[in-house]
Amino acid sequence: MNKNITVIPRHGSSLKDKLYLPAIYDGVKVTFKHFFKNVSDINAVDTLEYPEEQPTDITERYRGLHRLTHRPDDSIACVACFMCSTACPSDCIFIEATEREDGHDEKMPKSFFIDTLECIFCGYCVEACPCDAIRMDTGIFSLTGSSREDFIMDKEQLLSHKGAFGEENSCARD
Amino acid sequence: MSTVAIVIAISSFLLGTLLALLTIPVLVWLERRIASLIQDRLGPNRTNVFGFRLGGVVQSFADVVKLLLKEEYYPSHIKMGKWLFMLAPVITFAAALLAFMAIPFADTLHINGEALRVQALPIDFGVFWYLAVGAIGVLGVIFGGWLSHNKYALLGASRAGSMVISYELPLGLSILAFIITYDTIDFNAMVQWQSGVFFGFLPAWGILVQPLASIILIVSLFAETNRNPFTVAEGESEIVAGYMTEHTAMKFAMYFMGEYVAMNTASAVIITVIFGGYQIPWVSTEMMLQNFSVFAGVLMITVPLIVALLIRWMRKNNTVRPTVTTDSGRNFETKVLTIALLAMTALIEVILLYLIFFAESTLANSITVMLFQIVVFVAKLMMFNIFFIVIRWTVPRFRYDQIQHLGWYYLLPLSLLNLFITALVVVGVSS
Repeated sequence: MNKNITVIPRHGSSLKDKLYLPAIYDGVKVTFKHFFKNVSDINAVDTLEYPEEQPTDITERYRGLHRLTHRPDDSIACVACFMCSTACPSDCIFIEATEREDGHDEKMPKSFFIDTLECIFCGYCVEACPCDAIRMDTGIFSLTGSSREDFIMDKEQLLSHKGAFGEENSCARD
Repeated sequence: MSTVAIVIAISSFLLGTLLALLTIPVLVWLERRIASLIQDRLGPNRTNVFGFRLGGVVQSFADVVKLLLKEEYYPSHIKMGKWLFMLAPVITFAAALLAFMAIPFADTLHINGEALRVQALPIDFGVFWYLAVGAIGVLGVIFGGWLSHNKYALLGASRAGSMVISYELPLGLSILAFIITYDTIDFNAMVQWQSGVFFGFLPAWGILVQPLASIILIVSLFAETNRNPFTVAEGESEIVAGYMTEHTAMKFAMYFMGEYVAMNTASAVIITVIFGGYQIPWVSTEMMLQNFSVFAGVLMITVPLIVALLIRWMRKNNTVRPTVTTDSGRNFETKVLTIALLAMTALIEVILLYLIFFAESTLANSITVMLFQIVVFVAKLMMFNIFFIVIRWTVPRFRYDQIQHLGWYYLLPLSLLNLFITALVVVGVSS
């Protein structure tokens, strides 16, 4: 026999296995153990009482809701290059560019909309951005609204989101 | 018939109906909560009425409202047999409900020479009633699946048919062994037989007298109720919802409730036939009636103990975690329920004290014993229902040919062998 072949012994042919009942007894022992442990101290069950308890394990790499970053002097970092809306696979970023007057670059977005109902949170816009102007490090995982329009984020909303992990400003523009 | 007889007949009918129908939401809730606790989750625990959650049982009533208000949808491709398609869930539900009616909830009351059965249907051929009516339930499944004119539903129905031929024979033969042992077809007489002792010290419960037939009975009843490990008539992964694929809203709810009523009925039959029914071990009804003051005294000690344990558990567990700021009215609920439980205990104590020291009426005594037996019956019923649920969330499913294999190659020969030995022993003992 080829020594690369490992023969795994087949289980289930002994009388104990064929009776089924010992196996069921073992299984019921396990389930009852969990049941009594949990029923004797319900608050020790390792779940999140969600709306009251918020998750604490959101990491820096978590792709939350988008934000537009600022430069150190609080002006917008975005230069309206359309890289993000080009990279976007779900076509949910709508930018209108305008001339820039504050002496930093030539262009800035006049309007910047992200339709978060279309967005699939893939993070390609963040990867594509040459100015570190769009980020997904807000840590916001839950977005609610009462109409579809509530989910279309405009430039002011996106600028007002704060980074949750320390880095506030764009690292590529000064 | 005297007034007492009429009152007992009506109240036991009401009790049977309530016990069968009111346990449905409780069982649905128990199923979901126990499943989640087994899997280290919490399950539905938020729904409340004025802050009263009762552990989340209110969720089931919300579900009932949802199912009642859903759109009643009739598949337009069903041209023939529409009335039977509509009737099928009702057959399943009604069969399970009617089969439950033959179960005794307490021992026969003897009042002024009249023997009053505490059964919803006061019949003395309960076993045959159960076998005849209980077996109709699966017809509803087969009709419903067949007349849906849907391939999944037809597959489910044919699987249900394959189940019937697998379990009905072992079920009947194992019950026959019990009929020979107890020498009766009356559920109540079976329970009375089991209140004796066996080998001098063991309670003469069916599970100890007839262990093999008991196991076959339990396995066959698991199959009859269509519960795990014998869920074949429906299977999410292979045939969608099986026989009830085309049934919506209340028609679906009928099947759904029928499953829980059937589970309840099966539990009731199992505890009546093999776990001593409404009796506690070693203690027969006559013993309780003859030594009533001792019985009442023991009850007066145990009831506060049980209530104290319950309140302690509730105070510990009906809380939110320290990290959660809003308590959602749980402290208030605990307080109200504690007061209600204490008041109930005090009432029971006062009544028992009165019965021990002042009342000389045998009627009051026997009614107290009857109520106690009903409580024991319900407690056992719920314990066995919980066993059913735990088994469902423990064991994987059988394939339907494996069930036929099990039924025909193992259960049928074993039950025949058991029947043979039982008959030999019974003939040997009696001659």
